[in-house]
Amino acid sequence: MKAGAASLRDSPPRLAVVRCPDWSVVAAGASPHEPVAVLHANRIVARTPAAAAAGVRQGHRRREAQRICPTLRIIGHDPARDGREFEAAVRSVSEMVPRLETTEPGVLTFLARGPSRYFGGELAMARRVADLITAAIPSVRLGIGIGDGRFTAGIAAHYAAHHAADHHADHHVDRPGSPAGQPIIVAAGIDATLAYLAPRPVDTLRDIAGVGAELVDLLHRLGLHSLGSLAALPAPDVLARFGAAGAFAHRIAAGGDDCPPGTMAPPAELMVTCAFDDPVHMLDPLVFASKQLAQELHTALAGDGRVCTRLAVVAETEHGERNEHLWYRPSGLSVAAIIERVRWQLDGWIQQPGGLSGGIVLLRLTPDEVRSDDGHQLGFWGGRSEADEWAARAVARVAGLVGEQQVFVPMWRGGRLPADAYQWVSVDRGDVTEPTERLAISDVPWPGQLPSPSPATVLPEALPAEVFDATGLVVRVNGRGMLSAVPEAVSVQGRAAEAITAWAGPWPVDERWWDDQQHRRLARFQFITQGGTALLAVVEHQLWWVAAVYS
Amino acid sequence: MDRGSLQARRERLAHLTPRIGPVAFARDRVLPVAPALQPLLPEGGLVRGSIIGCQGGPALSVALAAVAGASEAGSWLAVVGLPALGLRAASEAGIALERLVMVAQPTDLSETSWATMTSALIDGFDLVVLRTTPRLRSGTARRLQSRLQARGAVLVVVGDPGQFICDLSITGLGAEWEGLGHGSGRLIRRRITLSAGGRRLPRQRQTDVWLPGANGGIEAIQSDLAVIDDTVGFKRTG
Repeated sequence: MKAGAASLRDSPPRLAVVRCPDWSVVAAGASPHEPVAVLHANRIVARTPAAAAAGVRQGHRRREAQRICPTLRIIGHDPARDGREFEAAVRSVSEMVPRLETTEPGVLTFLARGPSRYFGGELAMARRVADLITAAIPSVRLGIGIGDGRFTAGIAAHYAAHHAADHHADHHVDRPGSPAGQPIIVAAGIDATLAYLAPRPVDTLRDIAGVGAELVDLLHRLGLHSLGSLAALPAPDVLARFGAAGAFAHRIAAGGDDCPPGTMAPPAELMVTCAFDDPVHMLDPLVFASKQLAQELHTALAGDGRVCTRLAVVAETEHGERNEHLWYRPSGLSVAAIIERVRWQLDGWIQQPGGLSGGIVLLRLTPDEVRSDDGHQLGFWGGRSEADEWAARAVARVAGLVGEQQVFVPMWRGGRLPADAYQWVSVDRGDVTEPTERLAISDVPWPGQLPSPSPATVLPEALPAEVFDATGLVVRVNGRGMLSAVPEAVSVQGRAAEAITAWAGPWPVDERWWDDQQHRRLARFQFITQGGTALLAVVEHQLWWVAAVYS
Repeated sequence: MDRGSLQARRERLAHLTPRIGPVAFARDRVLPVAPALQPLLPEGGLVRGSIIGCQGGPALSVALAAVAGASEAGSWLAVVGLPALGLRAASEAGIALERLVMVAQPTDLSETSWATMTSALIDGFDLVVLRTTPRLRSGTARRLQSRLQARGAVLVVVGDPGQFICDLSITGLGAEWEGLGHGSGRLIRRRITLSAGGRRLPRQRQTDVWLPGANGGIEAIQSDLAVIDDTVGFKRTG
C-alpha cells in the first residue's frame, strides 16, 4: 500500500460519474418490463431488467439468450442511436453543471467540487442530478458515484447502478418510485479511496477503466483477485512484469490519477475551426466538414507524436445558440472516433425538439487534453514494413468511410463448431493489440473439432432446417447419440426437401456441462445432397440447423 | 579482382538488368499462385492490375485458392461483403490471417461510397476479394480498373462480375466429394474441374484439382502432373 501511495503525484480531482447500465436498450426505447436485448456481433451487449431477471446476460449468443428467454425481443446495435439519445441526458444535466464529459453513450463525468458546493453537499447534488436525468428519460436506470479520480468514481457509480437494480427488483428503495438508487460517495483522501477500492475485483479494471481482458485474466491466474492485492505490489515490479498497461492498472488500483504523467494542456493554436458562409441545416455536410477538421487536428498532433484524449466539440447557430461537449477516450481519439462523436453530438442536438432555431454556422474542435502517443492506435499492425503501412492507412481510411465497427480482423478463439474456431473482431476493439496476440493458436489439439478440410462458408446466422427419414418423419437423435432413422432428405429454411446421397454422423458435443448458463449439447452431421452441395448440419434440442456449407 | 571472371561479370550484369531495364513486361509483374493453379494462368501467376472472376458453385473456394499463394508470400488481402467467409478454411487454404482484413458491406451503401471504399482498398492492399454490387455503373467499374492497373493490385470478383470486365474467369465445374459414405467416413477431398477463359487466353484451359485437398489447400491431381509440367515448361513448380 505504501508503494502505491508513495508513487502518487498530486491527488486526483474529485469527480462525479453517472453510469446508465444497459444504455443501448433504453436508447432503443424498450420498456423495462418487456424482455428486450441489444445484439452486437451475435453477442448480447445490453438487456432490460425483465430480460435480466429471466437470466439473459451480457456476452450470450443470440440462440443461447433465446433459449433462456423465448419471448426475448432482439434489437440490432446502433451506436449512432445510443449517442443521439444520450444527448437528452447530457442536456438535462448541463443545466446545472458546466463542462460535462462523455466517455461513451451512457457514461457522464464532471467535476464534483463546484456543483456540490452550490447545491449543499455531494449527496444533495447527486440526488438532484438523478432527478434531472430521470425526468428527461423516465425509463432509465442509473447509478451515481463520487470519488477521487475517474476510476474510483466510476466504480462507485457501477456499484450504485447495480444496487439500484437489485433493490428495484426485490423491494422498495428508500425513495420509492425512483429507478436511481442511493449514490455512493467515497470520502476524499487517499486512505478512504484505498479502503474503498481494495476489496473490489480486478474485473472492474476491464469493465470501468478499459484495461485489456488478457491482462485481467492474467492477474486472476496469478492469484491477484482484488484491487488491493494488485496495489500492494511495488510499482517498479509491476512495470517490469506487465509493461505499460500493468503500470496503468497498478496506478489506478492504488487510487492514483488515471491521466498518464505525460498528459498536458495543449497549446491554444491546436484548435481547428470551420465557419460556414451559409448556415447548414443538414447533418451530412457537418459530418463531412468534421472529417476535414478531424484529419487536420490529427495530423497536427501526430506531427509531434501526440494524441488527443479529451476533445471539446463546439457548434454554434446563426442565432447564437451554442452546444459544447467534452468527449473522453482513454486510448486516444482517432480520426474515425472524432467523426463518430461529432455525429452523435450534432445528431442529438438537431433532432432535439425546439433545440435550435437556425442553421449551424460554426464548428470547432479543441483538444482539451493531449498526451504523447504510445503507438496504441496502430500497434496491432505489428510489423513496420511498407506493405503494412499501406494497409494500415487504407484500413483507417475505410473505417472513416463505413465506420470502425464495419471493418474486421480475424481472432482465434478455439471451439468445436466452425463459427467458434475463429471470430471476426472490429478494428476499434482496444484489446486487439497485435496479430501475434489475437492469432496465437495454442499448440494443443482441440479435441472434438472436425478434421480438415473446413467449410469455406460459415453462416453468421445458422439456418433452420429439417431432416427427414424415408417415411417423411423428422430424424431425431437421442441422449446417447443414437439416430432414430437413416436421414434421407433435408429441407433448408422451409425450401423443398432435397435427397441426401451421402452422410456421416452424429458427432456429439457436450460443452461446458459444469456451467448451467453455457451448457450445450449437440450433434454434428455432414450431408451431401442430390445437387452436390456438402453441408455441415447441427442438431440441438431436437432442432436442426445448417451451420456451414462446404462451398 | 578489378574485372573478375567472365562468369562473375555476367552475374553482376544479370543483377543490374532489372534495375536499369526500361520495360517491365506484364508477365514480370506477377504475384505467385499455388502450383496447382499455374496451368490455368498464362503468366503462371496473378498479373498485377488484372481482374479475375470466379464463378460456379465453388466460386468462394476458388477465389481463396487463387489468392492464397500471394497472401502467403507477404501480400495483404482485403475481403469485402463476404461475412460468411470461413476463417479456418481460409487458413487451411494457405491465407495468412495476420494480413487479412474484412469489410462488412453495408446494404445501404451508395454506389459512390462503394467505389470510394473499394478504391481505398485497392490503394492499400495487393489483393482484394469482393462480391460486386448491382448498383455499380460501367463507368465507375472502368475507373476502378484503371486505378487497379496504376496501383498494381489484383481484384478477384466472386460470383457474377457485373460491370467489371474480367481479364480471366475461372469456373469450377463438376464437384465430386470423396470420403463420405452412408453413415460412415467424413468429407476428405473434392475433385473439381477448373476451366479458365478470358482476354489473355486464346482458348479455354482446363485442369482437374483437389479443392479442397486432404489438408484443406488446393492440390494438383497426380495423374495430370505430366500435362501440367508440359504447359509450364521451364517454370519451376514448388
